[in-house]
Amino acid sequence: MKGDPGAFATYYPTLLRYVGVAVGLAILMYGVYRLLRALGAKQESATGFSLILPWIVGFVIFTAFPIGLSFYLSFTEYNILWDSPKALEDKLFNYKRALSIKVVELHEGERPIQVLGTMSGNTPETVRYRELAQFTFRGKHYVLGATDGYFLKGVWLTLRYAVISVPLGMLGALGVALLLNQNIKGVGFWRTLYYVPAVLPAAAVALLWFWIFAPNRGLINWFLKPLYALLGVEPLGWFTDASLVLPSFIIMGMWGIFGANTVILLAGLKNIPKELYEAAAIDGAGNWVKFRRITIPMLSPALFYNLVTNTIAALTVFTQQAFIPTNREDGWFVNWFIYNEAFNYGHMGYASALGWMLAVLVILLTLLIFRSSSAWVFYEGARRQEGGA
Amino acid sequence: MTKYLRSAVLLLLVAALLPLVPAGTKALAQDKVTLRVTNWAGVDEAAEFQAIVDEINATATDFELVYEPKPDDYYVQLQTQLAGGTAPDLFWLDQNHMAWAYQDVLLDINSYLEADDRGAADPADYYPGVWQIVALNNGIYGLPWIAQPVVLYYNKDIFDEMGMDYPTAEWTWDQFQQAAIDLTNEEHYGFILNSWPPIHMFIWSMGGEVVSEDLQTSPIDTPEAIAGAQLYADMIYNPECCAPEEVIAEEGNAEMFKAGRVAMFMGGAADDLDRVEGLNVGVSPVPQDVNGGNTTFAWTAATVINADTENPDLAYEALVQLTEAIQNWKIVSPRISQTTIEHLVASEPRKEANAEAILAAVPDMRALRIIPRQDEWDTIFWEDFQDPLFHGEDSVENLAADARILLEDVLPIE
Repeated sequence: MKGDPGAFATYYPTLLRYVGVAVGLAILMYGVYRLLRALGAKQESATGFSLILPWIVGFVIFTAFPIGLSFYLSFTEYNILWDSPKALEDKLFNYKRALSIKVVELHEGERPIQVLGTMSGNTPETVRYRELAQFTFRGKHYVLGATDGYFLKGVWLTLRYAVISVPLGMLGALGVALLLNQNIKGVGFWRTLYYVPAVLPAAAVALLWFWIFAPNRGLINWFLKPLYALLGVEPLGWFTDASLVLPSFIIMGMWGIFGANTVILLAGLKNIPKELYEAAAIDGAGNWVKFRRITIPMLSPALFYNLVTNTIAALTVFTQQAFIPTNREDGWFVNWFIYNEAFNYGHMGYASALGWMLAVLVILLTLLIFRSSSAWVFYEGARRQEGGA
Repeated sequence: MTKYLRSAVLLLLVAALLPLVPAGTKALAQDKVTLRVTNWAGVDEAAEFQAIVDEINATATDFELVYEPKPDDYYVQLQTQLAGGTAPDLFWLDQNHMAWAYQDVLLDINSYLEADDRGAADPADYYPGVWQIVALNNGIYGLPWIAQPVVLYYNKDIFDEMGMDYPTAEWTWDQFQQAAIDLTNEEHYGFILNSWPPIHMFIWSMGGEVVSEDLQTSPIDTPEAIAGAQLYADMIYNPECCAPEEVIAEEGNAEMFKAGRVAMFMGGAADDLDRVEGLNVGVSPVPQDVNGGNTTFAWTAATVINADTENPDLAYEALVQLTEAIQNWKIVSPRISQTTIEHLVASEPRKEANAEAILAAVPDMRALRIIPRQDEWDTIFWEDFQDPLFHGEDSVENLAADARILLEDVLPIE
């Protein structure tokens, strides 16, 4: 601020810390180098280890330690404003709170909230079961309650988003990659054009889509105005109508197909040997057979990579929801739900438990994809080795 | 050691030492204690705040305020700084976030106030309905710098066109509701509600409460509270008197009033609704409550001190000076002695025409009763009571009964 000496004095301790870190790293690098040499390591490897040390230190402090700490916090009650977390009598409370469900018979005139009751056991605060759904079974009326129905709704929304948007996105990316693989004039321009969405900031893109989907002034409803008038229906409330929240996010998610996915698939297409197509043509194969029997198998490693990365991205989607407010009752993506628990409600311990449950879900689904890969992913080198054995 | 490693270590050292050159010279020149202050101000407001800081710095002999505005993600940034031990010494909190006082991150200034006879440090000079946002958790956790009462803005031209008398402080809610109906035609609506103004105000006005004084209950299912909520529910989005939801979504809330599409609008006293070019606007207190007053909602905020400040004495001194200055800058001042037309007009000359009506609303304004889990309470109040009520999902009685159970789960337990 205007060369304010006070402002500089504020910055000064930061500078000192910066200097301290740099000097400390330098000493650590030198120390590790001397230690490794003393232990008999070759000069080359001792130098290599010393040079990657700053990255390792950064990884341990800024990634590994927070991961470990969040695991510990998931078994505690912790508000970010507290000095330290509080121990929980029931160590698994946060996990139980997220997943507990209960079915109770609902009699005439009873209100669900009054009959569902609260979570039993040693809970640090009152945790109430709230209505998730009502159903009739063998003539009796029941209410299904959950201690955190919003989380379960969030998981359901996130899973549906991943299951629908990932295959759709991959199909779109494949289609675009096939188009860009044609020998057309100015192909370099088209390739650049289709990659542009990938370099735009996610926040800007989210705000752009928010405007496109705006119920009254948005681009989509403006285009659809004649159709609405023809059918005599009200304009669709894309992010406000509960049934349209998921389709809106899925349509918005298609934006990603023009980015890195297309580039990876295009690179895969370029690597398919032309001889395979020529041999197939001699055998009388048509375009569809070539695509089905040559293109897809040869492209399967790239498709597999896209499937894994896109699934992880879909399950951890955050930015779109951060910039496009929707009703929590209609479901929030899990990551956004976790963020709100941690920073808006101060439930850092609970949010950590939710984060770990999301991590387990992501790992399980990723493992499932890996397990399935032997059935559909074709590695040319691997088959050749098998054939030669 | 190879030449690569030697070069890397050397580079790190040089990079580390470079910033020390100016740091060494300037740091020595520093003889005042530096105190950091932050708020959520945007560009224009930050420039005005900086001018206040500069004025204080010019006369302060033992401290130097350094201003760090945070216009985006203010509360997330601030609580992350508090958690990391790098938060500024002083900062602004709106009334909802005064709940942080329960987490022991704010300095209790009660002992300082007792030994201070300056106006800004006199609890008796603040309106009780506003002072309650800092007087909580057995201490005093800051000084309020603003208290904007909700007032009734009305479009005189529409009233004249419809041949109706202008609103007064004596209007009852029945009169108000009828006027809203009478003022509605194809050209304009009588009134507009869109979760603003807060439903709390209507409940208070009918004699109800949303949080009891001892913070132990949320009696939103009492007949008084239900009457207030019912009044709100009867009007919101009802095209007989008020703008429908889809019209508000299309045309905006305050924008509809500014465009002459709404005859009456309840807004903060500092809002610019009475200085729209081409619009002839009057201001009145909101209709009378059941006790004959004009109970209204106050949007208020306070400057607080970080409990971990290394210089609590100087931070307190800066707090009082800052508060005094801000109370002469922002309207409406939360202090009783500053409830004068002269003071209000000196702070905001553009409010001169309606200063009297604004000040008439001040004595009956009240802020929220702050509880430790304020954010959670607010969320339940919205999701389980207001939102379904506004959309006619159930009766006020049923929603209030269910919501009360949930709301009281997050109240403090004695």
